[in-house]
Amino acid sequence: MIAMCNRCGFCQVACPTFRATGHEAGVARGRVALLRALREGRLAWSTDLEEPLFACLLCGACTTNCFPAVPTADLIVEAREEYLEKVGRKRIHGLLFEHLLPYPERLRRVARAVAFGKNSGLSGVARALGLLRIFGRDFPRSEKIVGRMPGYALRERFPPGVLEGGGERLRIGYFVGCGMEIMNPVAAEASLGILREAAMEVHILENACCGLPAWSYGDREAARKLAAGNIEILSALPFDRIVTDCSSCAAFLKKYPDLFEPADPLREKANEVAARVRDMVEQVVSAPPPRSKEAGRIIVTYHDPCHASRGQDLVAEPRKILAALPGVEYRELPEADWCCGGAGSYALSHFDTAMKILERKIDNVEKTGAGVLATSCPACIVQLAYGVRRRNLPIRVCHLSELIRERSAPTG
Amino acid sequence: MDPRFIRRVRKIVGKEHVRCGPTDLEVYSYDGSLARGRPGAVAFPADTQETAALVRAASEAGVACVPRGFGTNLSGGSIPPDDGLVICLTRLNRILSIRPDRRCARVQTGVTNLELQNALAPLGFFYAPDPASQKVATLGGNVGENSGGPRCVKHGVTKNHVLGMEVVLPDGEAVRVGGEALDPPGYDLCGILVGSEGTLGIVTEVTVRILPLAESVVTLLAVYDRVADAARSVSGIIAEGIVPASLEMMDAPVMRAVEESCPCGYPLDAAAVLIIEVDGPAVGLKEQAERIRRICASEGCRQVREAGDTEERDRLWAGRRGAFGAIARLAPGYLVADCTVPRTKLPEALERVRLIAQGHQLAHGNVFHAGDGNLHPLLFFDSRDPDQLDRVRRAGREIMKECVELGGTITGEHGVGIEKLEAMRLIFSEEDLDAQRAVRQAFDPEGRFNPGKAVPGVARERPVVTSPPRASADDTAWMPETVEEACAIVTRAFRDGTALLPEGGGHWRTFGNIMERGLPILRSAGLASIVEYDPPNQTIRVQAGIPLADLQEALRPNRQWLPIRPFPGARGAILVGSMVALGACGPERMRYGAPRDLLLGLRFVSGTGRLVSTGGKVVKNVAGYDLGRLLAGSAGTLGFLTELTLRLSSLPECCRAVRGWGLLAEVASAAAELLRSNIEPTFVTASPLNGTTSGKGKQTDLEHWRILVGLEGFGETVEAQAERCAGLLADKGLEAEATEDYPVLDGPFSDHDRSMDRSPFLLRADLPLDKVACFVEEAASAIHPEHIFADFGCGRVRGGLTRLTEDAWDGLCGCIGRLDGHLLLEKAPDAFKKRRDVYGPFQPAWKVIHRIKDAMDPKGIFSPGRLPGRK
Repeated sequence: MIAMCNRCGFCQVACPTFRATGHEAGVARGRVALLRALREGRLAWSTDLEEPLFACLLCGACTTNCFPAVPTADLIVEAREEYLEKVGRKRIHGLLFEHLLPYPERLRRVARAVAFGKNSGLSGVARALGLLRIFGRDFPRSEKIVGRMPGYALRERFPPGVLEGGGERLRIGYFVGCGMEIMNPVAAEASLGILREAAMEVHILENACCGLPAWSYGDREAARKLAAGNIEILSALPFDRIVTDCSSCAAFLKKYPDLFEPADPLREKANEVAARVRDMVEQVVSAPPPRSKEAGRIIVTYHDPCHASRGQDLVAEPRKILAALPGVEYRELPEADWCCGGAGSYALSHFDTAMKILERKIDNVEKTGAGVLATSCPACIVQLAYGVRRRNLPIRVCHLSELIRERSAPTG
Repeated sequence: MDPRFIRRVRKIVGKEHVRCGPTDLEVYSYDGSLARGRPGAVAFPADTQETAALVRAASEAGVACVPRGFGTNLSGGSIPPDDGLVICLTRLNRILSIRPDRRCARVQTGVTNLELQNALAPLGFFYAPDPASQKVATLGGNVGENSGGPRCVKHGVTKNHVLGMEVVLPDGEAVRVGGEALDPPGYDLCGILVGSEGTLGIVTEVTVRILPLAESVVTLLAVYDRVADAARSVSGIIAEGIVPASLEMMDAPVMRAVEESCPCGYPLDAAAVLIIEVDGPAVGLKEQAERIRRICASEGCRQVREAGDTEERDRLWAGRRGAFGAIARLAPGYLVADCTVPRTKLPEALERVRLIAQGHQLAHGNVFHAGDGNLHPLLFFDSRDPDQLDRVRRAGREIMKECVELGGTITGEHGVGIEKLEAMRLIFSEEDLDAQRAVRQAFDPEGRFNPGKAVPGVARERPVVTSPPRASADDTAWMPETVEEACAIVTRAFRDGTALLPEGGGHWRTFGNIMERGLPILRSAGLASIVEYDPPNQTIRVQAGIPLADLQEALRPNRQWLPIRPFPGARGAILVGSMVALGACGPERMRYGAPRDLLLGLRFVSGTGRLVSTGGKVVKNVAGYDLGRLLAGSAGTLGFLTELTLRLSSLPECCRAVRGWGLLAEVASAAAELLRSNIEPTFVTASPLNGTTSGKGKQTDLEHWRILVGLEGFGETVEAQAERCAGLLADKGLEAEATEDYPVLDGPFSDHDRSMDRSPFLLRADLPLDKVACFVEEAASAIHPEHIFADFGCGRVRGGLTRLTEDAWDGLCGCIGRLDGHLLLEKAPDAFKKRRDVYGPFQPAWKVIHRIKDAMDPKGIFSPGRLPGRK
């Protein structure tokens, strides 16, 4: 695949990091050229490669603009894995992927502690002591991206188990993404409400992290372990659908089969799971909630999370949902499918680049004149909310589920 | 690389804007071509000042430089010299101003072509050059390569649209060249810098002409079962007098690739398609499309489909624009050739390409700008296989050779770069190359700007300037009848160091700062034959001494003409060589361009007595520096023109002038409205209502003016436009007058010209388009012109004055400076010239002009003293 790049340079138009930095090592053509140089022995593995490899958002926009469709994001992930092997990994990541993300309960405990620290001003102390630097070079500066933390996690209020719904027959498993659970439990609750309208029963799953962060970091082994654990949980019960309101989780769950070799028995199981996975957006389109009668007029625009648009090809669906909501005037966001620079925890480690990318995004948001900016990925929401907050804009950033829930008439 | 130099570079642009690690150097080792180099460092300057400082530092440290934008060059032009400094302009990414009222935009060169188009479109404007890679091709690269694009069959290439630039010269000096006003004093420096592939300077900012979007557009897809039929239709369409907005061709392998990567609706069972687009005023467009259908049908076209809506049109174009990339599906690598042949030779050229590819067992495809004969055969290969790479390179060279044999050139728009360096010798002799090397040396004596590109070899030894030329004692006039004779005369003058004054009819003998003093004259009138007339290709090769009237007469039977009406002056009597040398044209330039825009090729006797060729006979040609641009308008200071190849047009069916009169402000406001509208006038001019009746002691009334708008083209189109135009004039409060048709060759101005010509002072002011009325008011009322003529479409005011004091002139110079324009006294008495430079006060760009003069005419024998700054 590397040799398929003919260096036409068309990826430069679409690559958010290139548009922010103007540097060839920050665009698909450059990154692929480095991979080729490594393979052909012109370059040796060294820490010099950290920046080009890890500064990629994995947003996939380059591939959409690439005629031979070189899958740069996948190539980068593979290269990151090799980098970790040959150059080395950070201890913190092992801690995160092996001891925290596989255990939802531990993760919730840490989140509580962080929320306490943050909301009480203690993170300032931690910052002063340099403790937060372990998360990455830019973390002390970027920690402010996250506003007040909610202080509780979704599954602390809605423990894993079965909830009855108002629908007939349909049984839905609700996959709780870490971001939704910890950063955005209010939106998660809205999603839950929507699901209970449509289904006979909704199972709140005791799933762990979907594995995307580990995979993105290049730690595919950790990602496989997380996936294996989740596949076990997801295939145990006969859901008709597995729904998640995090587009990143949804895209990665659908990708589970790719994580395992064809001979691996887990691959077959992963296929069965992936076939039942639905993004919340798909669920809503297939079963639109009843419209509420009274709804104030609002202007709404929509940001495409990379994992919804390029990850799952969900472009028309969210727009259709928004346009149909009562009282909503939908306005298209220029460059709506450009990455916001959040890219999971990217902003925490590459603050300056992430901010330049965010500035471009918020400029576009301002052009629409919208009062509400909706999306369907918790990491995007954190990043976009920060962008809006930095400029003191009167714009509400929220998850699609929240808008849908507010503007539908619950039958129960 | 020397760490001290790196430290200095860091100091200039800041630590974070310099890269020199192994990964950085790897990703700046390539561009869109097959070539490779390894830089020593990459710097990202923030502005012109930083760029200049970098160049100075490099110059002092003896480091070679290469400018780079997005690195999409297809000929290796942006490949760094080993251990050189890459000056990457991606941070110069701002559009500085867009002025629809001046039809101008000022843009930093790191902006991509498409970004500019996207900024212009909401204002109803566009920038004509539109390379297929416009998404990722920066304007800096467009300027360096003289980019074309599908649309240039109608509107011309980059050099026809660049008005001014800020350029950092190889010694680190930043100079402004040109500006919003046309024809800056002296040589056309923009013309030589555009297409110079980063070897003469680094352009950091560019002022470009922008045009109103056409009212309407029709896009046709013509489907063929045989490639040759498609190729024949191309010359058929042009020969019919239709000027399509674009005329593109794509063959089956390329269509298949495009359809596989993004379905655009091309027929997969066809051998070739043409994408034909006509645009312009809505009335008459359907008829043009109908004519095209008929021509295609008569050449064996299977089907002509018309794009029903914008979406369908966009889809057709998306495939065309992405074709090169789509080829990537067929093979991991491809070499794209870029030859141009005369349109009528397309079928033959395509066949020869097929045979060459076959001979080397290479798969190939074609997607190209058929309307200007610019082929892009794509040869597929796998870059990991050295044998394939070798075969593909050999095939590429053979294709160039065949196309040259067919009367074409080696590169139409991608540039020479590294890959076609040796192929330059297929079309140029050592003498020709020496002239180009001389230009390079004038700009970059140390040869540190993009070395090893664009022009092969280094300058051979040249004579050093010794002493100023002497006028020969006898008052001679030479009139050579052969080119050899002309060379002999110049060689003798060069040997003896005596001056020569090239001239045509003698009318402009004292043009510029030169005075009546009996220099030996070298007259071109003895070289007056037509060398080669190619009606279907609409080109003609003539000797320089042929009168324009004779040329037009020869073209008339084929319903063609050279679309220039020199102004003022005895139009028919002017010789074609003088017209080109002086850049003489009239207000119709707004539509058809100046002589230099119609000049495809040129032969001249150089300052050392050598016969030099430049350009060729094809409409798109970026092989080597465009010396034609330097010679056109050089007024006999660089060489003696012997032969010119010119681009012709079909005679317009109808020429109609719409007239109206009113106050100057009303006339100016109507002109401004016209320039913003999508009416496509051939000229927009005005003169005082009583301008032609002025006599002794009677002053011209500068209050009331008559506007004259020329419309030329197909009958029905002209008629509809004339109606719209008359309505517009009435809306602006002008008193309507009857429209009148005028003769194509004479135009509507004749009486007026001749009388202005008799004034002792002939003044020309060039201005931004919106400043014409302003200049007339501020300046002209102070100098009481006997005649005055305002050309709103070109931003030019001409005046005939009985007297002009030095004080009044100095005042004018101040005024024009404030208006961002410039002045020239085309005619002035010796007494005046002794005290003032007819080009106005000194400008920094003149230093460059003088260096060029020194390099190309080392003993200064041609027209000494004529240039700005009396060089």
